[in-house]
Amino acid sequence: MTMPGAGTQNMSIHRSEFVLKSQSSIEINRRAFLGQAGIGFGSAALLSMLGGRALGAGIEASPKGLPGIPHHTPKVKRVIFLCMAGGPSHLETFDHKPKLDELHGQPMPKSFTAGQPIAQLQGQKLKVQGTLTKFRNHGTCGQPVSDFLPYTAKMIDDLCVVKSMVTEQINHDPAHTFMNTGTAISGRPSMGAWVNYGLGSESEDLPGFVVLTSVGGRNPQPIAARQWAAGFLPSRHQGVEFNSAGDPVHYVGNPPGVSRRHQDALVRTIRQLDRRRDALVDDPEIRTRIAAYEMAFRMQASVPELTDVSNEPRHILDMYGAKPGDGSYASNCLLARRLAEKGVRFIQLYHRGWDHHGGLEKYMGICCGLTDKPTWALLTDLKQRGMLEDTLLVWGGEFGRTPMYQGKGGPGRDHHIKGFSMWMAGGGIKPGISYGATDELGYNAVQDVVHVRDFHATMLHLLGIDHHRFAVKYQGLDMRLTGVEPAHAVKGVLA
Amino acid sequence: MEKPFPHPLWPLCLLWLTSAWLPAAEVDFNRDIRPILSDKCFACHGPDERTREAELRLDTYEGATEGGEFAIPIVPGKPDESEVMARIHATDPDDLMPPPESHKKLTAREKDLLKRWIAEGAAYDPPWAYVPPARHPVPEVTVKDWPVNWIDRFLLANLEREKLSPSPDADAVTLVRRLHFDLLGLPPTPRETDAFVQAAENNPQAAVDREVARLLASPHFGERMAIYWLDLVRYADTVGYHGDQDHNISPYRDYVIDAFNANLPFDQFSREQLAGDLLPGSTVGQKVASGYNRLLQTTHEGGAQPKEYLAIYQADRVRNVSAVWMGATVGCAQCHDHKYDPYTAKDFYSLAAFFADIDEDQHFKVGSNTLPTKRPPEMLLLAPEDEAELAALKEELAAAGDKDEKKRLQAKVAAVEKRGRRTMITVAKPPREVRVLPRGNWLDDTGAIVQPAYPHFLAGDDPGSGEPGEGSRLTRLDLANWLTDPVDGTGGLTARVFANRLWALFFGTGIARDLGDFGGQGEAPVHPGLLDNLAVEFHESGWDVKHLVKLMVTSRAYRQSSLAPPEMRERDPHNQLVARQSRFRLPAEMMRDNALAIAGLLVNEHGGKSVKPYQPAGYYRHLNFPPRKYAADTGAGQWRRGVYVHWQRQFLHPMLRAFDAPTREECTAERPRSNTPVAAMVLLNDPTFLEAARVFAERIMREGAAGEGDRLDFAYRHAVSRPPDGDERRIMGELLAFARKDFQARPEAAKALVSTGQAPVPADLDPVEHAAWTTAARAILNLAETFTRN
Repeated sequence: MTMPGAGTQNMSIHRSEFVLKSQSSIEINRRAFLGQAGIGFGSAALLSMLGGRALGAGIEASPKGLPGIPHHTPKVKRVIFLCMAGGPSHLETFDHKPKLDELHGQPMPKSFTAGQPIAQLQGQKLKVQGTLTKFRNHGTCGQPVSDFLPYTAKMIDDLCVVKSMVTEQINHDPAHTFMNTGTAISGRPSMGAWVNYGLGSESEDLPGFVVLTSVGGRNPQPIAARQWAAGFLPSRHQGVEFNSAGDPVHYVGNPPGVSRRHQDALVRTIRQLDRRRDALVDDPEIRTRIAAYEMAFRMQASVPELTDVSNEPRHILDMYGAKPGDGSYASNCLLARRLAEKGVRFIQLYHRGWDHHGGLEKYMGICCGLTDKPTWALLTDLKQRGMLEDTLLVWGGEFGRTPMYQGKGGPGRDHHIKGFSMWMAGGGIKPGISYGATDELGYNAVQDVVHVRDFHATMLHLLGIDHHRFAVKYQGLDMRLTGVEPAHAVKGVLA
Repeated sequence: MEKPFPHPLWPLCLLWLTSAWLPAAEVDFNRDIRPILSDKCFACHGPDERTREAELRLDTYEGATEGGEFAIPIVPGKPDESEVMARIHATDPDDLMPPPESHKKLTAREKDLLKRWIAEGAAYDPPWAYVPPARHPVPEVTVKDWPVNWIDRFLLANLEREKLSPSPDADAVTLVRRLHFDLLGLPPTPRETDAFVQAAENNPQAAVDREVARLLASPHFGERMAIYWLDLVRYADTVGYHGDQDHNISPYRDYVIDAFNANLPFDQFSREQLAGDLLPGSTVGQKVASGYNRLLQTTHEGGAQPKEYLAIYQADRVRNVSAVWMGATVGCAQCHDHKYDPYTAKDFYSLAAFFADIDEDQHFKVGSNTLPTKRPPEMLLLAPEDEAELAALKEELAAAGDKDEKKRLQAKVAAVEKRGRRTMITVAKPPREVRVLPRGNWLDDTGAIVQPAYPHFLAGDDPGSGEPGEGSRLTRLDLANWLTDPVDGTGGLTARVFANRLWALFFGTGIARDLGDFGGQGEAPVHPGLLDNLAVEFHESGWDVKHLVKLMVTSRAYRQSSLAPPEMRERDPHNQLVARQSRFRLPAEMMRDNALAIAGLLVNEHGGKSVKPYQPAGYYRHLNFPPRKYAADTGAGQWRRGVYVHWQRQFLHPMLRAFDAPTREECTAERPRSNTPVAAMVLLNDPTFLEAARVFAERIMREGAAGEGDRLDFAYRHAVSRPPDGDERRIMGELLAFARKDFQARPEAAKALVSTGQAPVPADLDPVEHAAWTTAARAILNLAETFTRN
């Protein structure tokens, strides 16, 4: 049986030579046009190719990323951001403060807390909570890591632990928005969107920005799609969620009763008819659309293939602790590696369960139990494949937790923004060090303070982007991921 | 049908290419110079005193010509003596302006423009947006028989100056589709198309006039306009922050639809939304309208500090009110004076103070993790018969003595109330104290206390900032009146902002391109006289929205073909010269409406609760407090228009998202128009579109006669308003043959496909044939032509 559309095209699915031709003899090399376009391309891309300005927000955009970017030789090609949503306690992970044990149960000195923003402890008596675990020094670097994180301890020589992080937002939703977009105002692009906008994607049949989520631990905080939105950047740069149940990406599965071959016939027919229309009306938007349908059809095969981890060898599955299709953080770490291999530029994992206002010991046990080993496995796997050197791996939450006691169901800690810990590892990062410090109670970052926007500047620097020069005009302003306040790439963490 | 280019009317000079449309000979300050100064200089030499360098400001004539610490920056008429010229050409990086560390650079063209402008006298015109619009004489044109109304003469005069011609009229089919999509958001039926085509043959203008009159009277006009207005005011069904719980607001959406249908004058429409509660003897409708003040995102997240969020809320309101009515980015003055426009931080907080009387902090205490959450104050809206029943029940209740009797009546009351809809409204209470927050910091109480006041440079003689205790405090109603008063307020600006947005709806691009920013960083209008006259026409007509729409869509310019050869696209990529019409994919809601209408599935009910289309399982899994279960509507709710779809801010329906509908967290004056693989997958695989395809297939089989050719005719005429040509018949025939054969081999697959969705599965149709036609219908419901307004 012949396939509709099969005999009528010079538009074969031959990847590298695919050239779109129109009657107006605009020729668009598909690799130039589509190859690094991320998950889509629209009038913006095309107009910029034609020398015009993008519609809507007045944004220059080109499918390969922006001209002139990278600004300097990049150290890494991609970022994997392991977001521990809810805000893990720095005081029970990396930032050991023996003084807390000394003062345990005593009133928190007012010199720390007077006039400071406070979340759930508003109006309550503030008392010191001693450390809820043991710390030991690990690795040849001898860094302290808490007993909650035995696998992290094994890889401490690869990590650069930043102990002097500060942020500006004390509630989960705005704090995530701040961590992801550099501001608490809704509607701004997230860092994954920024990075794809600047550098383009290296994947032909996968989105350039993928989001994976898992739960476990305390009642999970909600997380909004705003966290991976494209804001005022072209929407093709927005993060695409991969789902562990149902279609791995929305609408990626064929309809009931429709085989891949049947869908192929349909897509070919649509292409033929759209091309006829284009021949008549000469509309670049139709040509973009034809390419979008091509990529959609390819994604319908590539996404399920990629997300099916059952073909991974047993020892790899065991290393991560992943069971195919279980939607766990472990499976997501394995998926992250597979996505990285396919050229996905920005991969963000959320594990939601770290909001330990009470019962901290119990819930830390659960969260660390679910995430510690898979995180180690991801780093180790990247390393053994030679990929850690061009990957930036980041671990951290939207904020830390108070040195003060909060007790909903056993001792816990409230949200804290004046000092907390994150770690980075991979290309361009100095391994086996800690950077910056909080005061003796772990309240204020006091040495080598790293603001969220400094973190952003550092990440961009490693990707070859000077954050000063990475701006988009929106509502008349030069918008940057790092905002308008001074920000700097943190030299002390760079190898 | 549209014809391919080249058309003989296109002049050869189109082949003369420029990368951007260049201005005519004379340098115009607002069009050519202000954007350069604003973008490259004002951050350090502009309105914000705090960051001004060398005591030099270049945003005023006095500042620029008197200078600061050093040489005279601008000597009118003498570029060679102007320090500015020396600095922008300096080779020493210490002298160069803008300084290298700013990462700003002037292009050769910009330097040349500055030189020419200084040589021509360095005239400073006030910011164009803040000069009240005045009627301009309608220009004379050479080609007398093209213009239909004065809009055309403005455009044509400009085209003639540019040595260009307008495009020929679009064919009647294209035109009737354009009118229906633009005014109703729905496709024409084949009968409507035929009637129009026939009428247009005799007298195209009369046919357009008649069709426009008919469409403006349709109740779908309000639904179409509401899509746009709801983007501006950030209408949504959920609170937006944290748990993103539902809140009660859908009656406000219906108010907006009704207002456009009733052609409520725009000034009154504005008053009712900003201050419906303050109008003397305010009606139920006006109270519902005051829900505008409650549309912002809110939170009751544990640990949220009310003082912080009240600061966030007031900033949100200032951003929105200034964006919607003034086309201004006053939000930039939250932490410091505006860098580019004359708004001060005090202006920002004085605007915020207008809203300080809104009763809104109850939810910090009573906000609940329920669906809907609690966001008092609300009002209950009942059908008239329920209203009567409730009144009677309450009387009975008051009279009842027996405990059981009371219980019984209370249950009845609850049952009646449940049939109604609640909606958030504005209730005024004694205003909170509002201070200037230094650097926007809500913890800092050292800023001056401010009263409600209009931005200082727009306030005229009556700044309205009565001293505290004077009793002369301005209200939201004063603000609404000021925003819509062209004489004593800023009504001219408001009219210009809205007229420009209407223009963008019907021509594809604003006359001033930045629909959301009329400030120094926005682009000045390409046709300032036309925009002025539209603004004046708007308010002089009594803020008559339908009148203005009619004027635009019955113009000759509107009727032009949207075909654009590459040379024209390059010369004028955004169609600002309007030498053609625009073509673009339909907005998200209309993608849905169009497919449902073609299938015959669309349910034309008006207003009501928000509806829930099919949605991928688990899409809301990231929501919590409470965890969310999504239940798609059953029955009629499943096939209603997109404007009624439940708007979940944090997880907007993936179909709406794929086609660029905004989350409505902030004001959206212009949606982007993307064209992505994700959107392709939605049209290919979303059950809503599959169901539409299989019901469309059933319709084709039942109503489209027996032969394949007749059926294809029927299908094409419903989807794209024309019959297929020979090639299209052949291509569709091949697809049908393939599909038939494939489904014959897999009859179970055929049954599965034709059972998609909730619509009844026809028992009398052969599933294989039905499935084959479903595949054909899917092809048609995926064509660019089907979903393009051109």
